[in-house]
Amino acid sequence: MAASSLRSFIKDVRAAKTLADERSIVTKQSAKVRTKLRDDHLPHSKRRTNIQKLLYLYILGEKTHFGQVECINLIASDQFVDKRLGYLATNLLLDEQQDLLTLLTNMLNNDLTHLNKYIVSLALMTLGSLSSNELARDLYPDVEAIMQSSKDPFLLKKALQVVAKLICKDASLLEIFPLGFLTTNILSSGLLPTHGVWLGVCKVLTAILSNITSEVPEPTINEIVQQLKVLTPQLLSKLSSLNTKNLEPAFDVQGVQDPFLQCELISTLKWIFKISTELDAKDVLSFTDKFSDLLTQLATNTDTHKNPGQAVLYEITRTIFDLNMSQPLRILGINILGNFLKTGKGVKLNNNIKYVALNTLIDVVKREPDAVQRHRTFISSCLYDPDISIKFRSLELTFAILNEDNLLELVKEIICFLEKIANPNFDRLSPYVDIDDSKDLIVYSVDHLIEKFDLYPESKESEKLRNLFKILGVVGGIINLDTINEFLITINNITKWADKIGILFEMLQATISNDRANIGSQLVSIWCIGEYADILLKFESNDKVINEISMANYLLKLDSGSRISNNCLLIHYVMTAALKLSSKISEPAAVERLRQIIKSHSKDPNLSIQTKSIQYELIFNQPNNVKRLMLTAMPKFNRNRVVNNDEQTQLRKLQHQQENAKSNTTADLLLDLLSEPAPTKNKNKAPAQHVVLPENSTLINESNQLEVYSFPVSIVEGNAHFELYFKNKGPEVTNLQSLCAVPKTQKLILGQIHPSHNDIGINQFVKQSLKISGSGNLKLRVKLSYTSRDGGPMTEQFDHKFNHSI
Amino acid sequence: MSIRFILCFNKQGVVRLIRWYVGNESSGDTQDVIAQIYRLISSKDHKRHSNFVEFSETTKLVYKRYAGLYFVMGVDLRDDDPIYLSHIHLFVEVLDSFFGNVCELDIVFNFYKAYMVMDEMFLGGEIQEVSKDVLIERLGTLDRLE
Repeated sequence: MAASSLRSFIKDVRAAKTLADERSIVTKQSAKVRTKLRDDHLPHSKRRTNIQKLLYLYILGEKTHFGQVECINLIASDQFVDKRLGYLATNLLLDEQQDLLTLLTNMLNNDLTHLNKYIVSLALMTLGSLSSNELARDLYPDVEAIMQSSKDPFLLKKALQVVAKLICKDASLLEIFPLGFLTTNILSSGLLPTHGVWLGVCKVLTAILSNITSEVPEPTINEIVQQLKVLTPQLLSKLSSLNTKNLEPAFDVQGVQDPFLQCELISTLKWIFKISTELDAKDVLSFTDKFSDLLTQLATNTDTHKNPGQAVLYEITRTIFDLNMSQPLRILGINILGNFLKTGKGVKLNNNIKYVALNTLIDVVKREPDAVQRHRTFISSCLYDPDISIKFRSLELTFAILNEDNLLELVKEIICFLEKIANPNFDRLSPYVDIDDSKDLIVYSVDHLIEKFDLYPESKESEKLRNLFKILGVVGGIINLDTINEFLITINNITKWADKIGILFEMLQATISNDRANIGSQLVSIWCIGEYADILLKFESNDKVINEISMANYLLKLDSGSRISNNCLLIHYVMTAALKLSSKISEPAAVERLRQIIKSHSKDPNLSIQTKSIQYELIFNQPNNVKRLMLTAMPKFNRNRVVNNDEQTQLRKLQHQQENAKSNTTADLLLDLLSEPAPTKNKNKAPAQHVVLPENSTLINESNQLEVYSFPVSIVEGNAHFELYFKNKGPEVTNLQSLCAVPKTQKLILGQIHPSHNDIGINQFVKQSLKISGSGNLKLRVKLSYTSRDGGPMTEQFDHKFNHSI
Repeated sequence: MSIRFILCFNKQGVVRLIRWYVGNESSGDTQDVIAQIYRLISSKDHKRHSNFVEFSETTKLVYKRYAGLYFVMGVDLRDDDPIYLSHIHLFVEVLDSFFGNVCELDIVFNFYKAYMVMDEMFLGGEIQEVSKDVLIERLGTLDRLE
């Protein structure tokens, strides 16, 4: 039996125990099929079986080019079964670019005029998915003939669909298409057109309208407009008839009457009104009111709870905004989208519709900002959605609607959100949010918040400052340190001294006595000590935490701490603050400590620190009056912001890039992002931060090129989180891929290589997170592959046993 | 509106059906594209995440999992996403009636029949028939034409 041979092949593939077994079976069959197909005397049934096997190979992702001609030959057979398989194989194996398509012209030509309607239908199906410009021109008359003469609704709907495809391939065909035939014969014939035929009509209209250019001759345009005048009311009344409560069971999709056709009709009408507006066709545009009424009616009557209804409603809102219809309709559109964001009681959590609603709202918020404002609560509630893409979008939208009026409320909301995602346990609480994702959310929020802080009126400056410190306390350890400059500028520019100093004093008090303050808070405190020490010392307070000695000690402590961690930025800040502080205090012991801080760096291996130390020492030794002149507080600082037109899409791009990076694609998109004309904002987003090896990590493998370290982030019962650090010792490494395996009792979630698996320079680190859940001893097998600049592609493999178990 | 490709694979990422309507424009290898789609989609929690993923400059993915099988459509970036979920659902319903309680093995062994269902529903990446009854009747006739 012929069929069983295919069956046994599939069975063999499925039964293969190992990948190698499977490969050998597949390769063997592939070779066999290849030889068999070359044999001209092979009986038809055998030929069919071999083509079927070829198709199975295609599904498996094997090479099948050798069989392409054979597939086409099979179409030439007289038998229906041969033709059917031949057409299927041709459709799957060939694509529109191939020269082989010309071989099809004659066969399609014959089959389109075949007496057997099933064969005609196969030929139409093929022409619909595989056509080139030449095929379109050559075969269009045949297709039109089928459309004109066929009484079979199956052939009619297919012919219409194919006409639409051919017009898209060769736009000049729209000039010869008899549009009048649609109105006079198809839509108003005695037979009611089926829904399939309606779909076909919509496709043809859309194809014609979307391909109208200025090159289409005037008479054709006039003819089209004339026909549209007749067609538009026909489409409107069909659409209106679908919006009924009396559902026909054949078209009932979860309580909505044929949502497919509804969407198609709405979208076709959208094209009609769009083109009519461009052509200023008054006859057609006179139906605009009717269309608006119908859309309003659809919007009220369509069930919003299930996907089919949502699809129709979504299409309505898109139409409203694409055509920029009247304001009441635009507000209706916003309200439909706003409703999608609700997840009230009894309404099933539906992320799909939230996702599309947020996407559209982001696009249209500029046009109806007030209407969007009304849905603020629901937008904010989407911040806490488990889906990261919804989080990102609602955050973007939140910033888009943030203005003077709702500033206080929304800032509070966002800080609350930051507190939640900055919680170190957050990724464990919500396992689907990657730690890198929440970092991006934080960085994005903080950047935009600081920008929005300019909106604070002068009377609210103390609140602004308090919020600033609150943010700093929550996320100061996570944000990029470049952003600290923005914080400092904001602090610097606040002019209401009375409030400012009080708040600074409290902040400093808190950080000085807190050993675990985050790096962001530390930097800001250091800077404030340098700038405002004199005023702070005059501040009346019962607390004696802040005095000359304690400030100097604080700097000294951070300085010696940063020597170990080798944090250059902190050292720079400390030195400048020490210099400035020295001009503001008189206690000799404190001054001496400051001098020691500066002097101690005069032999620093880091050249810029060394230079700074030596220069500062010179200034340090100047008499006090000279020093004071040089070291006065900063003047008000004007920001020069580069306005980035692309702002709106940036976050999505960023996220998109991430999603792609996660699937280990090449870093093209990453490069795109970096090579954009560099507006200042971008530097915060480019993932160019250097990875530094944490202190208590252990070396687990070493080769000529790579050192691999592991660092336990957290190990609890049932769960362990590690980070692997790769250090490149040799020449530049690109395309580093790391695959890890754990024992069967455990599950592993492998993160992406951070910041990039490409272009890892000498002595640079990259990291990757491993989340292991399950039980047993922690063991790991790691396989690394990469391309070294000198050595070409390399692979390494090693095993490592941790001293822990979960 | 148009579908660029329809893809069906199981939880292990083994492809069961694949149909390109638009030549694979990303110059990369088709197998790489599929692997990339699999990684993107299989890592999602299908209960809590949306069923839409932006995939490339031109394409987004609309997908849904039925038992062990993922059905994925690559559609134009500007298209109405939710309606494609209904497309997928209708396709699966028709497969189900046609095979009679369809399972992965039906599709594995009778892939050419599954393609027949696909081709009666979609033509060149556009939906051509939406009535389940019409489809089932037509497919019954075609199936007997052996």
